[in-house]
Amino acid sequence: MKRWISVVAVLVLVLAACTGGTTEDTTATTAGDTTVPETTEGDTTSTTAAETPDTTGAPAGEADGTIIIGTTDTIASLDPADAYAIHDWELLKNINEGLLRWTPGELELTTGLATDMPEVSEDGLVYTLTMREGVQFSDGTELTAEVYAEQLNRLLTIGPDCPNGVANALATPFLESVEAVDSSTIQFTLSRPVAYFPQLLATAAYLPAHPDTFPAEECVTFPEAPVHGTGPWYITEYTQGEQTVLEPNPNYNGELTPQVDRIIIRYFSDPQTMALAVQNGDIDIAWRILGPELVGELEGAEGLSVGAIDGGSIRYLILNYAIEPMDDINVRKAVAAAIDRDEIVDVVYGGQVEPLYSMVPPGFIGETQAFDDMYQSPDLDAARAFLAESGYDENNPVELELWYPPEHYGASTADWMQLIEQQLEATGVIDVTLQPQEWSTYVTALTGGEAYAGGVLGWFFDFPDSSNYLEPFVFNGGLGTMVTSPEGEPINDQAAQLVDLLNEASVELDEDARAGLYEEIQELYADLVVTLPILFEVEHVVPRDGVSGSDQFASPETLNIGPNLEFYYSVLSEN
Amino acid sequence: MSPLAIIFLIIGIPALIGLAYIFVRGSAGLRRYILTRIGLLIPMVFILASLVFFVMRVLPGDPVRSSLGPKGSAETVARMREQLGLDDPLIVQYGNFLVDIVTLDFGNSLTGGRRPIVDEMSERFPATLELVIPAAAFALAIGIIGGTLAAARRKRPLDYALRLYSVAIYSIPVFWLGLMGQLVFGVRLGWTPIAGRIDPVIGTTLERTTNILWLDAIISGNWPALWSSLSHLVLPVVTLGLILSGVFLRLTRVNVIETLQMDYIGAARARGIRERIVIGGHALKNAIIPVITLLGLQVAILLAGAVLTETVFSWPGMGQYLVQRISSRDYTAVQSVITMFAMLVALISLAVDIIYSLVDPRVRY
Repeated sequence: MKRWISVVAVLVLVLAACTGGTTEDTTATTAGDTTVPETTEGDTTSTTAAETPDTTGAPAGEADGTIIIGTTDTIASLDPADAYAIHDWELLKNINEGLLRWTPGELELTTGLATDMPEVSEDGLVYTLTMREGVQFSDGTELTAEVYAEQLNRLLTIGPDCPNGVANALATPFLESVEAVDSSTIQFTLSRPVAYFPQLLATAAYLPAHPDTFPAEECVTFPEAPVHGTGPWYITEYTQGEQTVLEPNPNYNGELTPQVDRIIIRYFSDPQTMALAVQNGDIDIAWRILGPELVGELEGAEGLSVGAIDGGSIRYLILNYAIEPMDDINVRKAVAAAIDRDEIVDVVYGGQVEPLYSMVPPGFIGETQAFDDMYQSPDLDAARAFLAESGYDENNPVELELWYPPEHYGASTADWMQLIEQQLEATGVIDVTLQPQEWSTYVTALTGGEAYAGGVLGWFFDFPDSSNYLEPFVFNGGLGTMVTSPEGEPINDQAAQLVDLLNEASVELDEDARAGLYEEIQELYADLVVTLPILFEVEHVVPRDGVSGSDQFASPETLNIGPNLEFYYSVLSEN
Repeated sequence: MSPLAIIFLIIGIPALIGLAYIFVRGSAGLRRYILTRIGLLIPMVFILASLVFFVMRVLPGDPVRSSLGPKGSAETVARMREQLGLDDPLIVQYGNFLVDIVTLDFGNSLTGGRRPIVDEMSERFPATLELVIPAAAFALAIGIIGGTLAAARRKRPLDYALRLYSVAIYSIPVFWLGLMGQLVFGVRLGWTPIAGRIDPVIGTTLERTTNILWLDAIISGNWPALWSSLSHLVLPVVTLGLILSGVFLRLTRVNVIETLQMDYIGAARARGIRERIVIGGHALKNAIIPVITLLGLQVAILLAGAVLTETVFSWPGMGQYLVQRISSRDYTAVQSVITMFAMLVALISLAVDIIYSLVDPRVRY
């Protein structure tokens, strides 16, 4: 027994020797100070925010100018020719600057690497831009127009075969070639006029990639750190599921100069844990995706502020033109008239989302409230009248199958689908059957247009433009609306008119004329009930006191994150 | 060398040396038993891997559609299916899978950037080990101490309290217990961090060799990182360990009570040996043997518990990885992880059986 007591005593002493100094420091740093620890052996002066959770409101990474941002997103790809997810784009746009970018906090395009907005040829097919002088990657490699053009051609050559397929959506349908006119001038030739090409240029797909990291012949989804770029930051290290570390690019000569020494993105698998972490001071900012319930909890928490951004994803119903009974315009209109969006917003989401009365959310060019103007829903009498025109009544109700994925968009989807069922059945003329289905089976069947009469989908824009909220639901089968065939043939004359208007708007370079066209399109879209917009999710960002955005740009209360959800880490500072 | 390879060397080499020693010095029966168990391991893993392979393909869902969502055009989906070999006949896919297992290559994942699965495991597996081993030790410690105390105080208040604890703790969902721990010890009291493996800032200073962070911290002499990684371990380890401790407690209690009724215990008491020594020194030694066996069986449950614990604590281990990949129908990743789990459970139960024979000389194979 004595022998065991001796062993335990020795172990305790060894442990005490290892940790004793740190323990002392722990007590000295209860305000949440965090210093960069030296790795020198024996140094026990460095402490962590996590070991001494901060509940006083000071930022987690205050001492060395580190801001820690929490997210439940993950990295799927860091190759600009491949990345097609919100978080990937956020990282890429912070470590790279493209020719054009968005003004923080606003839906306004501005120049990035370009000295001016693009010069467009008369036929709308050639866009020419000039780069500013002295652009370098963070490792000192110079970015010339030749290098940039070569990297963008990579998007056209290997991009379509990359795993996430961004090139197929944002490059190959429009872009024919990219050439360097001289060392600072770059020229894009399009296969057809595209009025929103400047918006496309501001997407991550058109960012310059480092030629050594991203070779011309292969897609590199997870390059080895450090990942260098031309933007204000570069990635010094990243570990999947744990964290990504960004530090200022010493060679950056643009406008968005970093205000802090380091940004750490910390990944959470559970939004509830992320909410606790920001309350606890383990992270400075809780960013996507908290969800309406957690936002409600955080709104009253001490030391935090909740910023709401009208720019999230939308939820809508696909109503299939080719499958009974949705092939009947009166049934579609009756559904549009019967649904009460306000009730969904209040009952299911406690007011943390917004009702949506057009596929184009507020703030986008030509945005209207077309569905509200046309149907003023809920109007059960109007719904019954529409159905009566097609011979349906209480004795002969229309039977409707509505499908939904129970997990993919969160548990609340099932709740609001049940509410929709109740609202439609309240007409007394619609008999609804709800059908849950596993996501990948569901999305294949619904967007394929051959199986489901109706179902719910979500949409998040690729580039913040009204066209991106309308065209996908009309062209080439319209993601299962079947208002056109998969080959693009409109199903009827009104659908043909809609296609023509969308095509016209897509080449109209005059902004006012374009806005007018989109207003007309939305009215026709609502009349046809191509899809049925239901709600859009407000995004929330929750910074701790002491972390702020920039007063130089719009919406400092949301850390200058605007409706396009562009989050520039350079605007962040600590008070 | 990858962290996974280093860990296998750290664990595997001593294990192999031990096995060789036991094989040479052990009885003929033990040698035969070890050979039989190793022989059975191969068909067991093969059957399980095959089952997972076919079940994953029978389940509704498609990895390409799952990752592309509504934005993936039919052409894109078709091209990706071809690239990933998902259009190959099932028998060809199965053959490729078996080759991958035999070569321990496991191929590339189908989603999340199509990285080599070995690389992904290399990042994740050490995190799971870091969580599961101390959790098992903690559960065993609580179970043995609690069970022995309950047996020693049989039918007294402490016994009833510990029995109630053992049932209650086993009934509590691990995610609820984890959340309560985060709220109380993290948010309210501020004693522990609530998520992650290490403080993000200190994490940037740590050179990772094995990716078991406290070990890397010791190797590199980074004491703040050691403290940070250990403090991050507390809540998840205690949560997972507590859940399992109930089973060990009940088993230890029953075995100690049974042992205390043996003649040799009566003889020891008659010789005037103090009760503490009778229980701790004589009874517990024999009572603990079935507990060791149970530990081997509990490894599978421990790994299953780790899946939920890792999610609650944002612990980037194999469990969290498995959940993510099941939801995206990443066939190769799921098959590989489950195959690896199966091998792990089989090897640990083999090791436990061998240890069993060493602890109890009466055991003959």
